[in-house]
Parts: sequence; structure tokens; C-alpha cells
Amino acid sequence: MIKIEKLSKFYGQKQVLNTIDLAFEKGKIYGIVGENGAGKTTLFRCISGLENYQGNITSSYKNLKDHLGLLLTEPFFFPKITGSEYIQLLANARQIKLTNMEDKNIFDLPLNQYASTYSTGMKKKLALTAILLQENDIFILDEPFNGVDIQSNLIITEIIKQFKKLEKTVLISSHIFSTLAATCDEIFLMKNGEIIRKVKQEDFSNLETEMKNFTIGNRIDKLELK
Amino acid sequence: MIDFGLPLLLGYALLISAFLLFSNYLFDNTEFANYIYGLLALSIVSKFSAYARNDFLKSIFNKKHYKRIRLAENIICCIPFTLFLFYQKQFLFCILLNILVMLLALLKFHTTINLTIPTPFSKTPFEFTVGFRKTFYVFPIAYVLTYISISVSNFNLGVFAMLVVGMVCFSYYSKMENDYFVWNFNVSPKEFLMLKVKTCFTFFTLLNIPILIALGVSFLDEIEILIIFFILCYIYLATMILAKYSDFPNEINISQGILIAMSFMFPPMLLILIPYFYSRSIKKLNTVLHD
Repeated sequence: MIKIEKLSKFYGQKQVLNTIDLAFEKGKIYGIVGENGAGKTTLFRCISGLENYQGNITSSYKNLKDHLGLLLTEPFFFPKITGSEYIQLLANARQIKLTNMEDKNIFDLPLNQYASTYSTGMKKKLALTAILLQENDIFILDEPFNGVDIQSNLIITEIIKQFKKLEKTVLISSHIFSTLAATCDEIFLMKNGEIIRKVKQEDFSNLETEMKNFTIGNRIDKLELK
Repeated sequence: MIDFGLPLLLGYALLISAFLLFSNYLFDNTEFANYIYGLLALSIVSKFSAYARNDFLKSIFNKKHYKRIRLAENIICCIPFTLFLFYQKQFLFCILLNILVMLLALLKFHTTINLTIPTPFSKTPFEFTVGFRKTFYVFPIAYVLTYISISVSNFNLGVFAMLVVGMVCFSYYSKMENDYFVWNFNVSPKEFLMLKVKTCFTFFTLLNIPILIALGVSFLDEIEILIIFFILCYIYLATMILAKYSDFPNEINISQGILIAMSFMFPPMLLILIPYFYSRSIKKLNTVLHD
């Protein structure tokens, strides 16, 4: 269980997170949606301990980060490091002994090639594979479906469903509502650094309609497309 | 300079002083100074040949202007080295260096071949894994120099080969990794630093042991000097690792760089620098790693 109380974050004078209160239970999948710049990535970085913040983040673990797998929006790669070495690096960091890496290469990545030469989607899949093999209890996936092909999209969705069965806690941010609706137990709507709505599974369809109406409205009519 | 918290003029003055001190020290203490100097200049100038920035320049300027800019960049960057070589009356090296930097500006080295260079350090990424791939050609050269030093009974040349390997390994720790890769470790800052030092020592020994054994067997009378030199390499490598993380997540700043450079000239400084960098590293790493 992770509990967030009165979480605020400032970059200089600019407040990017505003007194957020949230709780994440074991074995549940949570979605975070919001416009670009709403504060989703900063929230994830604060939970991970990669950013300083005001407020409290507590968990049932002594060091939450040691049980947490973090998938960044744009994973960083060293030049001249192969896919398999990247996975090895992240496994070594958690003292995990890897066996049969080739068998666990579920996205069929060219693991002997330099990771920096991978496409955006391949990089994302490599970073995801690496954190999956770290045997974490909690996963924070920042836009895991971005740039990923449809086949891999299906695999990632199934992995998230599998996590639920394994009692893992997962936090996902995505701009693709259908994938969130298919996997999440609860979705939080963020705007300007605040959680403005918490929506349970039974109300997902209403949320999607509301978001569509609010976001699209009559904007397209203004274009007067002919 | 301003980024490092130094007034601009003071920063430039320090930079020039450090350059002059280093150059003087090199030429006063090493008979191969001109070679080291040339290699150093070329390695700095070669940064301008980076594919992405050249691609950008080509997209903005026509071929003629692009070549002029590249030539100007390389020659200007090389001016301090040229002047000092001139001052040292190393005229041939001076001309050779300038020809090489001009060639570096005009020739295209980029290749689209996606060849993965094998490395013995794959199981423990990343410093030696990445570093070895970038500098793999240095090691055969160092081993050949060792062979020559034994053939012509020149002990100093052998020590120079060891120094080359040491300096190359030293350079593997000059760049700070993304904080995500430090954050991933589930160890305390102290354990993290020990892990880094242990890996560095193991791999450095692996690369340098052929030279040490060959020189040790061939120059048995000088074995004490060799061992002292080897231990000094370990100490400087450990210092570099500690210095690297002493301003985490930022890279080593100019003042830290100057301190390290000064310690090469006056090794007893390490007695103060090592505990200083260690305590700072522990403090800085504590922001993402916890006891």
C-alpha cells in the first residue's frame, strides 16, 4: 500500500503538483490521465523518490523504491550498450541473477544490437522488459503504449492483467483511454497539478464520454472543414 | 563557467592557468609528452566530428561554408596546443598536429555499419562495457609498447604503456550517468560506491595485468616501482569514482577537475581529497539511495 498525503511540488515559483492525496492498494491497477503538462510524470518521479517534494509518501516497505519498477516516458540509453547489457545492468542493480534471457525476450528484440540504435517503440519495450525482470512488486508505467506497435500493445495489456492476478500494484499513465479502461480498477483525472476526479471501473464509460465532450466540444467545427 | 558557479573571467583565468600548469608538468616530467599532448589535442578536437552536430551544420550551410566552419573550429580549438608545442620548439609535432586536425575536419568517419564490438565486460555494465568499445584500439597499442619496451630494455616506455591504460580507464568515469541508473540500485550509498570501486579495480587489473607481469618478469629490479605505480593507479581510479559522484546528479565541475589535476602534480593531496569526495558523494547519493 502506498499513501500520498498533501503532496506538492514546485519548480522554482511554478507549482506543478498541488496538495495531492491518493492511496494505492496492493493488487490494484490505477490509471492516471490528464493533458500534457498536467503533472503525471512529476507525480511518478516523486513517488519513485527521484524528486524532492513537500508532503508525505508512505508505504508498507522500508524503501519503496527498492520494490518499484519505473518505466520512463522516454527511457535513457547509453551509447554502445546492447539490449542484453541494458537488461543486465538493471538486473545487477537489484542483485537479480538472470537466466535464459533469450527466452524472456518476449518482444523479440535484437538484444545483441546497441540499444541506442533501437526505434522509439523498441526502446520502450526493452526498458519494460528490463523492469519486468527486476521482480518488482510495484510498477509505475509512464505512457507504456506510446510508440509501441499493436502486437506489443496487446502483450503489454496482458502483462498488466497478469500483474493484477499476481497481486502487484500498477500505476499507468496513458493517453489511450481504451487500454486504461481494459486494465484499470480506478482512474484519476489530473489537471494543473491536481487530482480533479477519481473514477471507479463502473463509471469508466461515462468518464470517456465526458472527456470526449469536454475535450472535443465544438473545436473541430471551428475549422470549417470542407 | 557561470553554470559551475564561477565568474566568467576568473573561470577563463583558472582554465588557462590549469592548462599551462598541466602542459609544463607534462613536458618537464615525461619524455613522451609531445605524443601525449598530440593525442590529447586530437581527442578534444575529435568531439567536433560528432555525427549529429555535423549533420545539423550540413543542413544549414552549403558544402563550402560547412568545410570552412569545420576547419576553423578544429584549428581554433588546437591553438593552445599549437602555441605550447611551438614554445617547446616541437615544430614538427606542431605541423603534424595541425595537418591531422585539418584532416579530421575534412574527412568523414561516420559509418552506417551497425557492428557490436565484443567486450569481456558485458556481464557488469556499464562503465567498462561502454568505455572499452570506445577505446578498444588503445589496448593493443599499449601491449605493443610494452613488447617494444622489453625488446629495447626501456623500462620507462613500459611504465608509459601502463599509464596509458590507467588514463583510459580513468576517462570511463568522467561522465555522469542519468540519475535513473543510480536510483535503480537497492544498496546504500556506501555499498554503491564500494561496488563501483570493486568493479573498476577488477576490470582495470584484467586490462593491465599482462603489462604488469611482462614488465615484472623483464625488469625484476624495478618491481617495487611497478607495484607502487600500480597501487597509485588504483588510488587515482578510486578518487575519480568518488569525485564523479560528489556532485551527483551533476557532472564533475571545473573546481573538482582542477583539484584532481592538482593531485596528479602533488599526490599527498589525495589524503585530503579522498575523504572529502567520499563524504560529499555519500551525501549526494543519499538523495536517491537510502541507508
